[in-house]
Amino acid sequence: MDQPLSFEDGLVELLPRLRRFANALTRSPADADDLVQMAIERALRSQCQWQPGTRLDSWVYRIMRNLWIDTVRSRSRKEKFEAPPEEAEQVGEDPSGTVEASADLKRVMGAMQQLPEEQREVVALILIEGFGYKEVSEMLDLPIGTVSSRLVRGRTALLTMVGDR
Amino acid sequence: MSPDEKFFGWLDGELSGAEAAEMEAKIASDPDLARLAKQHRALGGKLKSVFDQVAEAPVSQKLIDAVRPPAQVIDFQAAKSAREPRRSWPAAAQWAAMAATLVLGFFAGTFTPRYDNAPVKVQDGAIYASASLNQALSSELASAPASGPVRIGLTYRDQTGAICRTFTEAKSSGLACRNGAGWQLRGLFPAPEGQADAYRMAAGMDSNLAALVDSSIAGDPFDPAQEKAARRQGWK
Repeated sequence: MDQPLSFEDGLVELLPRLRRFANALTRSPADADDLVQMAIERALRSQCQWQPGTRLDSWVYRIMRNLWIDTVRSRSRKEKFEAPPEEAEQVGEDPSGTVEASADLKRVMGAMQQLPEEQREVVALILIEGFGYKEVSEMLDLPIGTVSSRLVRGRTALLTMVGDR
Repeated sequence: MSPDEKFFGWLDGELSGAEAAEMEAKIASDPDLARLAKQHRALGGKLKSVFDQVAEAPVSQKLIDAVRPPAQVIDFQAAKSAREPRRSWPAAAQWAAMAATLVLGFFAGTFTPRYDNAPVKVQDGAIYASASLNQALSSELASAPASGPVRIGLTYRDQTGAICRTFTEAKSSGLACRNGAGWQLRGLFPAPEGQADAYRMAAGMDSNLAALVDSSIAGDPFDPAQEKAARRQGWK
């Protein structure tokens, strides 16, 4: 609360990275932007819980990941685990047009969607966002061994889907 | 750490000096492992470059506005209002209506200020919890509900830093926030017929009470440990 401007500036600066993470978690750029918006709103409301001097990025990533888990849980109550075929075809589509999804992006987003949530988030945080194992273990409240084994399974599956073998 | 985890730990720069050197030697002498390392490096590079397209795309104004609202109207409530058109009463009228609800709630409910041990008192023009309500707000935990007439729901810190608690009794539910003089009532609403009183989730709350919580909460509600610690520290 002491430095509201710098907190907000920090959030604005994080937006491109938050969108990248959200696109790795969700099915489409439109879903991703909704998730980023929810995370921003939650972060602003929870501002007093952020300790100045600690990493703002890890804190907001954690908020976003928890919101995503909530979304997935409430979705899975309503529908089967796998997306219906017509929705699967929309993977990578962005009706608002702010992200022009290349064929590569669509293919990789599609492959990420095939991973279980728990593997996808670890792959996204380590291989795409560049966090270390320890940082991710703290962010997700998981033992480092769990992070490491989920990462092995996730990247091995991805290699068979999109890798140049 | 399994051999796979060790291999990938090396690939991601997570191994210590000695372990890394050992793995490096192993990979140098095993063409299959060397090929796997190459494939996984390429995969990592591809993931990064593909998703970097997203990070490099211009950020929509909508997201920037979410951080810095043009009219400093904060998000959650605004989004809610957009979905469900609400009466936009001036603040004074809202408070008058709330005060009316408050009084009605008390007279309609089991709280009757006719007795000496009435659960509310008026102090400096504000309504404060007293007797059984004060007792419940000051001592009960949502995680360990007592058998008294008042049940505590959410406990949280509001945007001014004060601790607030929602409560339920037989016929109404409300919100009180702690200040130097005690638990000041912020709202009291009649409960729908037949509603269970064991509130924990905001979704189960009276919608007016939930809106009051939404508009005042800073962060998330306390978990049982935070609630207990707050009681130990006198709700400061």
